[in-house]
This record gives sequence, structure tokens and C-alpha cells, in this order.
Amino acid sequence: MESNRIFDLELKKLSEKVVKMCSQVNKQVNDALIALNQYDIELAKKVINNDHEINSLDVKIDKLCQNIFALQHPVARDLRYILSALKINNDLERVGDHAVNIAKRIAPLEDYRQLVSDLGVDKVTKETSILFADVLSLVETHDLNFCKKIYQRSATLKEDCKSIAEQILNEMMNKSEVVVVASNILIIVNLIERIAGYSNNMAESITFVVEGEIVKHKKKLG
Amino acid sequence: MAFEKIHTEKMVLHYGSKMALNDITISIPEKKVTAFIGPSGCGKSTFLRSLNRMNDLIEGVTIEGKILIDNINIYDKNIDVVTLRKKVGMVFQKSNPFAKSIYENVAYGPRINGVNDKKQLDEIVENALQNAAIWEEVKDRLGDSAMGLSGGQQQRLCIARTLAVNPEIVLMDEPASALDPLSTSKIEELIVELKEKYTIVIVTHNMQQAARISDLTAFFYLGQLIEFDKTKKIFTNPEKKQTEDYITGRFG
Repeated sequence: MESNRIFDLELKKLSEKVVKMCSQVNKQVNDALIALNQYDIELAKKVINNDHEINSLDVKIDKLCQNIFALQHPVARDLRYILSALKINNDLERVGDHAVNIAKRIAPLEDYRQLVSDLGVDKVTKETSILFADVLSLVETHDLNFCKKIYQRSATLKEDCKSIAEQILNEMMNKSEVVVVASNILIIVNLIERIAGYSNNMAESITFVVEGEIVKHKKKLG
Repeated sequence: MAFEKIHTEKMVLHYGSKMALNDITISIPEKKVTAFIGPSGCGKSTFLRSLNRMNDLIEGVTIEGKILIDNINIYDKNIDVVTLRKKVGMVFQKSNPFAKSIYENVAYGPRINGVNDKKQLDEIVENALQNAAIWEEVKDRLGDSAMGLSGGQQQRLCIARTLAVNPEIVLMDEPASALDPLSTSKIEELIVELKEKYTIVIVTHNMQQAARISDLTAFFYLGQLIEFDKTKKIFTNPEKKQTEDYITGRFG
């Protein structure tokens, strides 16, 4: 039987908002990466313009958490959930910002689409889409089976980003005419790597909710 | 490891044929605050009263198992309950000062224990009222009737009365539930101070209170001890789903 307690209704509202936030950020990330791969300037503009929705939801989630803390005195799993909702909200907002920053850096790449392709950027964009889809599934379901996948995909993505960064540096050393655009691509790759980091953070937060254990700073793989 | 001041083993209590407590095994350390929580009728006050044999005063109560204080079974035949209740004092939900002066309320216990020297009594009364954090409020009117004090002050006077006979353990049965928030806050502050010298066991319906002031929390339900652990653990990540459902207000 569904609860009609005020507290449970507030928790449900919070949960729905967090899932919505994650879903919207997932779309922003995917759209930014599609825009990058296909050099779609209109799509990039859409990502930039949609950022205000993410920011508005961020504020609503923060306020809702604050009210629940003040009025409902949550404990145990409820407390862990609300603490995690605040952290996940913050991480999602940052990921949203990174999607916007990627979108803003697409226009200057017009004459260098071949370079972007040669560097293998499309590989890491595909990996990022799959990774963030797992993050969305985890936030929706709290199924910790997604955590291991997230840690593994994130580790692979970080390695691939590092490899591309090395290639970019080689290009910059060998061809001075591409230094500016290569720097731009390097920043994009770094932003993608940061998205992997935030994905790990969110997996740690959900683990905390479900198991009550703080796993950040602990070795996850191997 | 903290010394086990109170230890019960497979303790069972019946009111006539009705079982009220079933197989309670618990070790309560000294000089900590241990809170008993649980829904109404779960047995927490009954268990509290067992710790100084106040249930002896109720007809038809039978107890099995062991209740040890300082490793001595308090239900042994040779235990003097008067001495026991000096060592294990009790404060009740409704304050019950005697219809006497403030001074006489506190001096009463030492007096019937043979202290007659005025200077000694004065010292005992002052220390007890100091320890109960009420001395400054009453020191200039010790001869006034205790019945003229506020509810919160009366409760602190009752605590002073308990402390005057030098207990080692103080049992408190919802000591602040009849008080306003400010008085409650003063009682809670006092409890946290008292644990420096005394072992405190408190029954409370106020879970935020248990969370605020206790070191350990025991959750009772239908006469059974469901979970007993550090208060932080109980309120952040309890082991049992029943405990979590109770403290999050989903039942009880």
C-alpha cells in the first residue's frame, strides 16, 4: 500500500526530481557528443540554451533537501538518501556544465573534423554515452550491479582519454599550425574524462544509500 | 572495552500469565547514557523498572533469568532492595517532589540513611542541587515549598533527590515528556553532564532525544530486544529492518 505520509511523499518528490535531473543531463551529454561527432552547430546551440533547465532543477532539489532536513528529521536510509541526493545533484549539475562547455567548443572545429576523427574522439564519445546510460539506470533503480560496470567503463574511458591526450600533444609538437585547435580538442577530451569521474562519484553515492558504507577513496577494481 | 555495569541474561517477565518481556540479554556499560526506545507496550519501562526491582511492588510479576549489577544478581534472596534502590535511583515521567521544602526534599534520603549532622546535610544538599543544575535557581529559597517550583525545576529537584543518596546508576522513565522545550533542553544537558559520574538508562518516546543524548540505544518491540548498538549506528544504518521502520516512523 502506498504511503500517504507527508515525509514519504516528499521523498518520492525528491526521487522523481533527481531521476529527472539525471535524465536531462544524460540528454545534454548525448546531444553535446552527437553535435561534436557530426559537427552539428544547431544541436550544440540547443545544448547551450537548455542549460538553464538543469540549473533550475538543481536549485529545486537543493531546496527540497533543505526542507526535508529541517522539517522531517530523517534518519538511517532516508538520511543517507537525502545526503546522496545533494551530492548527486551537485555532480549532475557539473556534468551538465561540462556538456555545455563541450558544445561551446564545437564551432572552431569546422575545418578540423578530419583531425577530430583521426584522433579517435568518436570512440570516447560512444564510451561516454554508454557509461552515462548506466549512471541513469543506477540512479533510477539503485541496482548496485550497475556500479561495477560504471567503475570498469569509467576506468577504460579515462585510459582512452589519456591516450588521445598524448596523441594531441604529439600533433601540437609536430604541427604548430594546429596548436590552437588541438588545445581546444584537448580541453574537450579532459571534460569527457571529468564526466567519467563524476560517474564514479554517483556510483559511490548510491552504494552509500543502499549499503550504508562510504566507499569513496577505496579501490574499486582489481 | 567499557565495564558492564548492568548485565541481563535471558530475562523473562510475566504479569500473571501474560509474558511482557522475553529472553532479554543485554550488557549496559557504566558511565554512558543508554536509551530504550520502542512503541507503547513494548516492555521498555517494564524492563527499566526491573533494574531496581520496582516491579516487586506490582502483584503477580514473576521474573526468570539473571539481572546482574556489578556482577551480582539483584534478585538473589540476600539482596536488600532498599540498598539496591539507593544504588540504582529512579526518576519518573511525572515529577513527584514531596510536599516539603526544597531542602527537605533533598535531605530526606540521607536523613533516613542515618545522616543527622546539619553541616554534613547542608553539604550533601548543596552538592546534589549543584549536580542537578538547579542550585543557582534555588539556593536563596531552600526553605520554600518544592510545590512552588515550575515543572522543569521540580523534575531537576527530583534528580537532585536521587543524587543525594549517591547512586551509581540513575534510571529515567521519560523524564522530560511532561516538560516544555526549554525545560527539556535543560534536562537533556543535565543528563549529558551526569554521565561523567553515573550510569544513565533512559526510556524515551522522543527519538530525536535518544539520538541527541544517548551513547547506546536499545530498540524493544513486543517484549523483545530487537537491536542494541551505538546510537550513531542505530540512527544511521541499523542492522534490522524492524528497527529502521520504527525509527523512520513507518510503524509504531
